[in-house]
Parts: sequence; structure tokens; C-alpha cells
Amino acid sequence: MGASGKTGSKEPGLRYPANGKTIFHRPLNRSKTSELSQASFAYLFSEMVSYAQKRVTGIQDLEKRLNLQGHPIGLKLLDLLLIREPVRSQARPLNIIALLHFIKGNLWTHLFGRQADRLEKSSNPETPDEYMIIDNEPLVNAYVSVPKEMSQLNCAAFVAGIVEGVCDGAAFPARVTAHTVGGKEEGEMWPGKTVFLVKFQPEVLEREALIGDRKS
Amino acid sequence: MTVFALIIINKAGGLIYNRTFHEGGLNKISTNDYLVLAGTFHGVHAITTRLNPVKNAPGDRTSTPSSVPGAANIVNRPEPSSGLEVLESENFRLQCFNTMTGTKFLLFTDTTQANVDVTIRRVYEMYSDYVMKNPFYQLEMPIRCDMFDRKLLSYIREINNR
Amino acid sequence: MVIYSFYIFDRHTECIYSKSWLPPSLSEAPPNPTPDGHPRPDRRSKAARAGDDAKLIFGTVFSLRNMVRKLGGDDDAFISYRTGQYKLHYYETVSNLRFVMLTDTASPSMRNVLHQIYINLWVEYVVKNPLSPVEHKGGEGVKNELFELGLDQFIRGLM
Repeated sequence: MGASGKTGSKEPGLRYPANGKTIFHRPLNRSKTSELSQASFAYLFSEMVSYAQKRVTGIQDLEKRLNLQGHPIGLKLLDLLLIREPVRSQARPLNIIALLHFIKGNLWTHLFGRQADRLEKSSNPETPDEYMIIDNEPLVNAYVSVPKEMSQLNCAAFVAGIVEGVCDGAAFPARVTAHTVGGKEEGEMWPGKTVFLVKFQPEVLEREALIGDRKS
Repeated sequence: MTVFALIIINKAGGLIYNRTFHEGGLNKISTNDYLVLAGTFHGVHAITTRLNPVKNAPGDRTSTPSSVPGAANIVNRPEPSSGLEVLESENFRLQCFNTMTGTKFLLFTDTTQANVDVTIRRVYEMYSDYVMKNPFYQLEMPIRCDMFDRKLLSYIREINNR
Repeated sequence: MVIYSFYIFDRHTECIYSKSWLPPSLSEAPPNPTPDGHPRPDRRSKAARAGDDAKLIFGTVFSLRNMVRKLGGDDDAFISYRTGQYKLHYYETVSNLRFVMLTDTASPSMRNVLHQIYINLWVEYVVKNPLSPVEHKGGEGVKNELFELGLDQFIRGLM
């Protein structure tokens, strides 16, 4: 970067290296697995939650603030992850399933180093607009113990905000919320199990139906 | 080999955590008594640091006139004396780990327990992970963190069943 | 093994005997090398410091003994504690006489040694001494030649 900055004074703007790879194509972190310290993230996230907790009226308000913190990250990540794709597959997802797979695979791998654990469609016929992304132990919650009086809270609302940002950026406006389901049916295996409930706006489903009709 | 109990004392001598892992190892005492015990131990720990018989009392060693004042002191400065680390009685053994910030971890075990150093280090690690990184924990206040409880319990259970 | 010091406390919590085996270089300043003839500043305070130490030691063992009794039951007894620099050994007789010894950290349990001092030296030379008073206020009756000599020989034999 420093070198290109000096020599590039003649040609302003972004310079493309010979291999066509710009700084957007790979992380600034050059280590083998491009991993970051989980401890420093944990401390940062802890402060983010504490910050969001100031002047909130209730748990829902707090979750909303966390969601808002994540939203812009999602918007930007969508662009970044797409530009890092091979040129042929650089299109944004065009239907719900492709989008959700993109989130479960690319987004999760980029953020947490692994895929999300499961994708599900709501089995309730009254809510066909609801999809679920399931993570057995969300990385952001690794060190978080929610006090009893706030048991409704799930700090992964921040991740929900990122997912929401990605959906919005891909023109699939949706509301995404995080819910703790651990310790219920599947016992103590995954006490921090979290479901990200993706509820798309009606127009998304409408469009989806139109596209489906045209294809068939 | 059995680990009886764990106590964590904050830097002001207040009890912030107290858990028994094995019934019958130690007498059951009330929370209030535990609070008193934590305060007492905090004071005793400070005194045991002072009692160090091998310390060089300040000013005892007069530096030779040729040496630079101050420099000799730095070279000769003895290691800071530590307070009580292990206490032995007929029925139990108490290991104390004092962190750099003055938080004390007290682990009560039976008298034959080995490798308590490793155990107490691991407990400290869990404390730094699941207590210090928890956004809802207030510094120096009593520890109420599910995750810490859970990890600690399963770790100690593993040791006690070995 | 190095033995640093030894204390006896009576049932009135008073220190009735104390002795230090610290090498002079550790316990006090070396003889003043400057020829100006000033008295060493800590000469006077040394005795006072030893007295303070004895009080602190008693406070410490008293608190720890109570703590041990509370947690371990009435049949439990405080044996020793160790810091990074020294180890303190404790032995209490049924008559509430308390023996305390400070050693280096590597030394094994000195409980037997303290017990031996009680049986072979205290009982023999202090209790059985017809000239020794019942109470040893200010160390009276303890600082007799036989006891001190016996103790010094016994301890030096261990080191």
C-alpha cells in the first residue's frame, strides 16, 4: 500500500495490480487463517453491549440497539464478500434460498470461521415468510452470561443485525431477530443455541412468487 | 483427591464468589461467616507478606560510596515478597492464588490433592473468560454468571471423579 | 534446611520467648563501614521491630487457627502455611501454649520438631525447674541457661 501510494501519484484513484487483486480481495490480516483474537473481540463486544445498555428502556430496546450496530456491517459485508467471489459467480443472490445459503455459508464463514449449523423454513403455514438460521453456539455469546432478570435477551441480536443488513443490501428487506432456544428440547447439549428468525417483507414473497411463476 | 470449595475475594477484601463442590469436606458455615472469613483472610494475607524474615529492610544496605545512588538499589532489589500461598491443616489444604490486580482465589482441597497450582490457574483462566468478558458483570461485585458456574462445575467434577 | 526464628506464646497471648537464627547479613545491617562514628540508625528500633513481628505473628496464627477450626471442625488443627519466601509452622499444646517456627520454604513439616521442643526442652527445663514461676510474664523463667543452650543445640543440629 505504502509503495503504491508513492509511485501512484501520477495516476490518481485505485490502482489495479497486475494480477487484478486489489486490497478488497483479501483481508488486511495476512496470517495463514486470517484469524483475529477472540479475546480482543470479546472485550470489544462486551463494551458494545455495555454501551448499548446505557439509556435503554427495556430488553427490546437493547436488542434493537444491538441490531442497529450490526446493520451497517451487514450492508458492507455483502459488497465485500461478493467482490471476493470469483468473477463468474459475482452476482448478488436473486432468490430467498440462494440468499440464505449465502448467509449460512459465505457470511458465517467470513465472520466466525465456520458455517451456520442449520437452515429451516417455518413449518407453520400461516407464516411462510419466516426462515430460520440456526447456530448452536454463537461466537458472540461465547463468554456472555445473561442475568436472570433479562432472560429474554440474546446478545446475538448484533449478529441478527448483520444478517438483516445483508438481506436489506440484497434487496430482500426483512426483520431478523435472535432467540435463545438452548436447554429446551435438545437438553443441555447446546445451552447457547440460538435461532435467527428471518421474517421477509410481503413484497419479497410476492416477487419470489412472480419469479417462480415465470420460471415454471 | 477432592476439591472442597472455591472462594474469590476482590481486592478490597470483599467476598465475591463462594461455591462448595463436595459436601462433608468442610463445615457448613453461613454466608455471613464466609464474608467475615474473606475479610479476615485478606488482612492476614497482608500481614504474612510483611512477616517475611529474609527481606532486606529498606535502608539496611548502605551502598558503597563509589556506586551511583539508586543504581545499586535497583540491582539489589529483592523479589517482592508474596503473601500466604499454601495453608495446611489436619483436615484440609488451602491454596491461595493472588492475581496481579489483587484478586484472590482460595481453593480448599483435601490434604493429598496434587497439582493444585494447575487447577487454580485454570480457574483463574475461566474467571478471566467467563466473568471478565461478560458485559453484564460489574467489577468488584459478586459474581453471578451462569456460564462461569457451568464451566467451573464441570471442570471440578472431572477432577473430583478422577 | 534453614530455620529463621522461633517463638513461644503463652495462654495470655504474650510472647514469652523468641529467638532468631538469621545470619547477620540478612537480619541486620553489616557493621557500618563509614568511619564517621555515627550510631547505626536502626540499632534502637531493632528490638522494637522484633516485638512488633511477634505481635503480628501471633495475630496471624490466631486468626488462621480460628479460621481452620471454623472450616475444618473443632478437631482440626492449623499446621503450617507457606509464602513464596518462608514457611511458618505452628504447634499448640493442650495447655494453650503455642510454638511457632519460621523456616525456608523447602523444609518439611516441623510439627514433630516443635513437639520435641515442647517435650524435651520446655517440660524438662522450664516446667520441671523449681525456680521457674508458673506464669512467664515478660519471658521470666524461660530464658534459663539450660533451655536456651538445649534449644540452640537442637536447632543447629537440624540445620
